[in-house]
Amino acid sequence: MYREHDLSYDFLGIHLENPFILSAAPPTDELDIAIDGLTAGWAGVVLKTTSVKSNPVNLKHPMMSSFGTAAHKLWGLGNIDLISQYHIGEICERITALKHMFPTKMIAASIMGSKKEDWQSLVWQLKKAGVDLIECSFSCPQGSMGEAPGRMLAQSVEATEKVARWVKEAAGETPVLIKITPQVTDIVEIARALKRAGVDGVTASNSVPALIGVDVETLEPRPSLFGEGAYSGMTGMAIKPLTLRTIAEIARHVDITISGNGGAYTWSDAAELMAVGASNVQFCTLPMHYGFGTIRDLKSGLADFLDRKSYASPLDIVGKALGSIKGQEELVTPHSHSDIDVEACIGCGNCFRACSDGAHRAILWDAEKRKPSVDDEKCPGCGQCMQVCPVNAIRMKEELDGKVHYFEFKGTH
Amino acid sequence: MEEFEKTLSWQQAAIEAERCLYCYDAPCQAKCPAHVPVPEFIQSIRSGNLHGARTLLQDAHPFIETCGRICPEEAFCQSVCTRSKIDAPLRIRELHRFVTDSSDPSDRMELPEATLGRVAIIGAGPAGLSCARELRVRGFLCDVFEARQVGGVPSQEVSTHRYPLEVEEREIRFLTSAFVANVRPERVTDVKPLVAEYAAVFVATGLPSETDMSIEGTQLAGVHHARELLRAMKSGAISGAGNRVGVIGGGNVAIEVASMLREEDPTRDVMVVYRRGIKELKAFKKEIQEATEIGVTYQFLAIPDKVVGSRHVEGLQVTQTHLCGEDESGRCRFEPLPGSSFIIPLDTVVVAIGQRVDEDVFPGLARSDSGLISAGENMQTSMPGVYAGGDAVHGAQTVVEAVRDGKKAAEQIASFVAGGE
Repeated sequence: MYREHDLSYDFLGIHLENPFILSAAPPTDELDIAIDGLTAGWAGVVLKTTSVKSNPVNLKHPMMSSFGTAAHKLWGLGNIDLISQYHIGEICERITALKHMFPTKMIAASIMGSKKEDWQSLVWQLKKAGVDLIECSFSCPQGSMGEAPGRMLAQSVEATEKVARWVKEAAGETPVLIKITPQVTDIVEIARALKRAGVDGVTASNSVPALIGVDVETLEPRPSLFGEGAYSGMTGMAIKPLTLRTIAEIARHVDITISGNGGAYTWSDAAELMAVGASNVQFCTLPMHYGFGTIRDLKSGLADFLDRKSYASPLDIVGKALGSIKGQEELVTPHSHSDIDVEACIGCGNCFRACSDGAHRAILWDAEKRKPSVDDEKCPGCGQCMQVCPVNAIRMKEELDGKVHYFEFKGTH
Repeated sequence: MEEFEKTLSWQQAAIEAERCLYCYDAPCQAKCPAHVPVPEFIQSIRSGNLHGARTLLQDAHPFIETCGRICPEEAFCQSVCTRSKIDAPLRIRELHRFVTDSSDPSDRMELPEATLGRVAIIGAGPAGLSCARELRVRGFLCDVFEARQVGGVPSQEVSTHRYPLEVEEREIRFLTSAFVANVRPERVTDVKPLVAEYAAVFVATGLPSETDMSIEGTQLAGVHHARELLRAMKSGAISGAGNRVGVIGGGNVAIEVASMLREEDPTRDVMVVYRRGIKELKAFKKEIQEATEIGVTYQFLAIPDKVVGSRHVEGLQVTQTHLCGEDESGRCRFEPLPGSSFIIPLDTVVVAIGQRVDEDVFPGLARSDSGLISAGENMQTSMPGVYAGGDAVHGAQTVVEAVRDGKKAAEQIASFVAGGE
């Protein structure tokens, strides 16, 4: 009954009906589950990473763990998962079946190998099956094949470039994305290596190596398998800022297509990833938490945003925020100070305490009225008070050359 | 007996605790007469530090188990919660109760030698026992004189639905065993002999007598005093009330006795007869709600004219009233509607219209016009070395206010004794 905003565009020559893709992860590891995801409205799938038949995959369960607070339990999700237990033969059959069922969706596969022959054989078989795009996992935190445990292919510039060349050589016209890790000294070097290797793009980025927690009562790590645990790959809301930085850093320095991945939970998260350079956004933790139905809000939220901002296509927001991301030393030096909306203030005093104990003692407190005020002489406008205000009643007023700018929270949250 | 309210689960408490804004100079803490450090104990719930939370409560407040259950939160902490400016106030009392229900009294207590002298305390209710604890912490020994059951109003008169016996026993046992030198089951009617014997005296008798109604028929069989009835039922006796009970009054005692009579016999009709309307009931919201839930009914806008009956109560004749504006104190005024009287058929009438200090006790202690014991800001009475607090000074108030008085009196007594040396 309502008109659906057209969110479609081309990504590396592939038609996407919207920018939201199910990433190579548990939601794409079973054919029937992947079918449900596509039916729900996701624009494409990257089937969970597969390998050559000779590669053993020894999963350990439980593999999932999380951290958060009582009200927000799943702030970050951890897994000690490995690649799919389904090998390339099975995956190729699924590709053909899915392509047949969903001819207008992006049906992609993710691969991992060790030797050149393996990588290239995987690519050839997928091409034959009719795959739209091939993603290569260079960055599973549980160890890339052919590398030492805990060492990822994408942590070595040379290895990354070498293997990417093998894959692209075999893939020919079929687009290739390399999924990288944010845990490197210089992400730009890795992206440059991929550019030199001639691949079509980079998926930025994989889960973040992490130790999810230790139960201090028992001293067992999380997850705990008979009292013992391992480092996890962390995903979920907690890693979004890391992903944003990774994407932005690549986009600012290397001319290469980016598929965003890691930490997006909402349409606006996705729009953020796109604004710093991602051409689409992959999701895994969101559907693993709240299911495939989340696609409806992603689509309608993004559509409304594009309408409100008069963007014709999702592509119009790609990289739009990049021009204003700079090195700290390149920024201007405005005269900044805290600007408190006393009407909106509810009198909790958090700003006063934060400024008093953690900043500049520049906020005064009227104990009677329970209202803060700013000592303009002392306030350098650092912005800490604004972060602790529970009702967003504080903004930073910046002045420079007779002009005024506000740093403030806008929107719903 | 099953409690009306269940304690929060760990998960509920932790999620609720996360809503706390942790206000600077928190209004909730200031509003609490015992100055319970609310944001801090809630922060400790959030961190899973129940021992820390309990220690904070226990330091501030001797009657934490009691107040976690029966404190009228809407009158104190929760009424000023900043969070209500965003959505709804924190459920502070329930969080408080969660702490006491989920932890044991702190056994890491250290008391100084009791070398500063002995203090006599008259009345083992919340004010008296709070004072005793605070004095013991400061190095005094206290003898507490109590004519009735130790624990005061909550122990004697609050329904076990709201204040279970085991909770009461745990609290009172801990207080008396750890802090009180001696509980003496004696009725004290004169403070002068105590002044000679003790370093100081604290009068915290509460309001032992009940106000009578000056209407016809109160001598009939089947007319009861509310608190007498409450004490009897609380001690396990049968009330002896009939099947149609009218409770006259609109305060907490009226609602409490109505609830307990209804609980005692759920087939019994219990009706609260009140001169004003539902909005004007003085009892705490939660108690009214609980009474209503168990089937207590109300006759509002009815002023009793006389109790009807030959030998035994047969009914209550009332005249309808009309609410007409407010008096200077902001209380709703009412006036009888002529010719509107009617008889409510009843077999029992319970009078719950107020209570007072006995008239014939404590010669030499100045009284207010309303017969309460006069005490100044520093809790001192007209007699040097004699302090007073709680209901005996302020009229009926809450447990937490009695606790405040007890704490304050201990402070004053300690400095009085120090100054006298």
